[in-house]
Amino acid sequence: MVDIGLFTQIVINGLLLGGIYVTIGVGFSLAFGVLEVVDFAVGEYVMVGAFAGAILAPLFGAEGIFVIPVVLVGFFALGALVQPFIHHVTTGDRPHPLLMGLVFTFGLATFLRGSVLTIFGPNNRDVPSSLLTGGVSVSGIGTFPVVRTVTAVFGVSALVVFMYYLYRTKGGMAIRAIAEDRTNARLMGININRYQSIAYGAYAALTGSAGVFIGMTFTANPGMGLQYTAFAFFMVVLAGMGYLPGVILAGVVLGLTQSFTAVYVSGNLVLLVLFAIIYLVLLVSPAGILGKGEWAT
Amino acid sequence: MTDAILETTALTKRFGALTANDAISLSVERGEIRGIIGPNGSGKTTFFNTVSGFYDPDGGSVVFDDEDVTAWEPHRLARRGLGRTFQIVSPFKNMSVRQNMLAVQTEGSRSREEKQARAEEILAFLEIDHIADNQARGMSGGQQKLLELGRVLMLDPALVMLDEPAAGVNPALESRIMDHIHELNDRGTTFVVIEHDMHVMRTLADTVSVFDAGAHIAEGDFESVSSDPAVREAYLGGTTAEDDEVPI
Amino acid sequence: MTAATSVLDRLPGARRYWYASGGVLLLAWPLVFGPFWARIGLGALMWIGLAQSWNMIGGYAGYLDFGHGAYFGIGAFAAGVAMAQFGYPFLVGFALAAVVATVVAAVVAIPTLRLTGAYFAIATWAFAEAIKQTALVTGITGGTFGLSLPRSPDSFVGIAAPFPISEAFFYYAMLTLCVGTMALTYVLFERREFGFRVKALRDDQDAAESLGIDTTRVKRQVYVLSCVVAALFGAVHAWYIVYIHPNDVLAPIITDRMVIMALLGGLGTLTGPVAGGLLVFLLERLSSVFLGSTTFYLPLIGTLIMLTVLFAPSGIIGILRGEVDATDIRENVRALKERFNLR
Repeated sequence: MVDIGLFTQIVINGLLLGGIYVTIGVGFSLAFGVLEVVDFAVGEYVMVGAFAGAILAPLFGAEGIFVIPVVLVGFFALGALVQPFIHHVTTGDRPHPLLMGLVFTFGLATFLRGSVLTIFGPNNRDVPSSLLTGGVSVSGIGTFPVVRTVTAVFGVSALVVFMYYLYRTKGGMAIRAIAEDRTNARLMGININRYQSIAYGAYAALTGSAGVFIGMTFTANPGMGLQYTAFAFFMVVLAGMGYLPGVILAGVVLGLTQSFTAVYVSGNLVLLVLFAIIYLVLLVSPAGILGKGEWAT
Repeated sequence: MTDAILETTALTKRFGALTANDAISLSVERGEIRGIIGPNGSGKTTFFNTVSGFYDPDGGSVVFDDEDVTAWEPHRLARRGLGRTFQIVSPFKNMSVRQNMLAVQTEGSRSREEKQARAEEILAFLEIDHIADNQARGMSGGQQKLLELGRVLMLDPALVMLDEPAAGVNPALESRIMDHIHELNDRGTTFVVIEHDMHVMRTLADTVSVFDAGAHIAEGDFESVSSDPAVREAYLGGTTAEDDEVPI
Repeated sequence: MTAATSVLDRLPGARRYWYASGGVLLLAWPLVFGPFWARIGLGALMWIGLAQSWNMIGGYAGYLDFGHGAYFGIGAFAAGVAMAQFGYPFLVGFALAAVVATVVAAVVAIPTLRLTGAYFAIATWAFAEAIKQTALVTGITGGTFGLSLPRSPDSFVGIAAPFPISEAFFYYAMLTLCVGTMALTYVLFERREFGFRVKALRDDQDAAESLGIDTTRVKRQVYVLSCVVAALFGAVHAWYIVYIHPNDVLAPIITDRMVIMALLGGLGTLTGPVAGGLLVFLLERLSSVFLGSTTFYLPLIGTLIMLTVLFAPSGIIGILRGEVDATDIRENVRALKERFNLR
């Protein structure tokens, strides 16, 4: 006998989670399209963002949410700093340059995870979120926890702003042009370097700020990055690498899968289920469920 | 044993809405040198890929040396005696020239010594034996072309399909390659050669097949093909005075 | 291209003299230097062997396996389950590790090797994580509690062994495995035609296929072999440390280490994993001793990976062979600086 109230609540939780996951997924997918790199460091950006919230907010005696502007700017700068290295590696005279890019981000991820672990220790840290406690009950539907709802709202808003930039501004068009056809974009006079930096910086900023919210919703822990890297892979594998509209759908699917698995199967098995799905989809349809992804070699 | 060493019947290959090979029926006789010409995008390389097993055809069949080899895997066809080269040469960079040759997997039980002797023989024939122990990475473009041919010959192929063997090659080397092809042909190897260089095609090919927009539109010796109005239309997009040949 | 100069050629005396001394030193190591150094030695030998196993599939074949560590854990748990849950002696566990790894690798290889490049990396990564999660929830592997292996004189072959199961014993076990792995790699990948075919499929898979090489089969053979080697090291490791837990023997850092060791040493070279393995292992040990941190090796490894990919992608061996030299690195740095100015 399915408890409708429980079911609806699970759906709400899943959708709210999906709201922030799409932010991570879209940024990640764009980074792939523009830089041609599968970024293994994506989950660590989330983790560092969460830690930024956990460490910086108490320093200024402030709430986690006020750290967001700092994180946005700081992470954008960080991304813009890292991007030339990735570009250098993927365009250099190395064997399998794209794979070397992947290995580079793999090293970056290990570096970030290890640094935070070494500096701050293995324990959980809270991101102050006293302004966001409690929940709003909507009768007949369910409870909307404030922190998760605000998170989802941020996630969706950030996504809308970002999509607006991508599809309605010249800068965004340049970035999309690069993602679609780098050679021709260069021939048309687009400054590849500049827009790649912007794209990667935006992606880092989005992901880092998502991390702050995730830190507020759950907690900040040096080992949490792995899970979010898995989430990012899940989304783009399902949607097809580089196919943005599919990522949004995949983010929602991810949130719902996590929510349902946690309740109806077991919290411990969420990752296992996700990894199994990633693996199976890659085997059956590597270009995503809708078959619209690009091959990365 | 029939006269045709390679026979395709209505061989078709599509990529989504694009029909790259449209019911190609072609028959290559044992011991001939067949040329294939056609504008860019007419489906020549796709034809090679479909025949040699890199693409699965969407229709039709391929018979090689009296055996139906449709949709065989490339390595199986290679071991059966069908060799091919690629438009863009790519030697195995991290090995020596000799190792490149020895990497080729042949059918049957040849001892190691026999295989090494055969490699030496081929390298000497192509006059690149003096660089046999050099890393393939450091080779010049011309030497790479010769190595490409040498590797294919390790298969002892009955048929060799060459994709633009004269591309980007200086005239001296080009003539050297043509001499090698002629000599091998005299010894019994059948060749199918894609080329854009009409001078090469005229002196090399016994028969020429013409491709255009995915279809096999003409076949015959070089002179008759080059004065065929359908062929000239394909190359020139219109007719010119009858006495003119297709620009060479 | 610069002429390859080998550091070894500059050593005084005949090479044979150096190799012989090295061999004697290796053999006498635990007897001369005692159990503490035996422990360090067996650790280094294990990692060199693991790096070499990764080098087979990642270096020679060119398939970046980001889940290779899972087989180390599979081997460890195969031995662990055999000994702790069923009471079998170690040699049975050792054999079981090989069998289980072969079966799993052969099954996994079929779908996974169809993927290329980044997709293969992600799939293998996902696979390894899934294995770890599975080990954490199933009872036979001890779930979240791990497994404790028995260590008594008769747990080696079932009857009392005539020698003590000491550090020295494990040192010699690892030495045998390591030397065996090196010899196997040398014969199979450097001397036999099999090795040429593997390198061929790495350099150009289509060309290899067109030359009669069954690339699918060759890939599978390399993959399964590399996984079994890793599993065997896992089995010995399990009995050595006696207590195994999925978060240790199935941790991502195991794959990370293998990757950096092979990469830093030189992908697809015979001695690369030795050089890279030794260097990374020593750096880790030194950093934990002198910096007193048990986690410092993580950012260290991460930095090493980044630096290697940036400046010396053909690794230490590449540098020793003269493929990369100081001018190349300076060029690299200059090109990198330019990118920052192009804004």
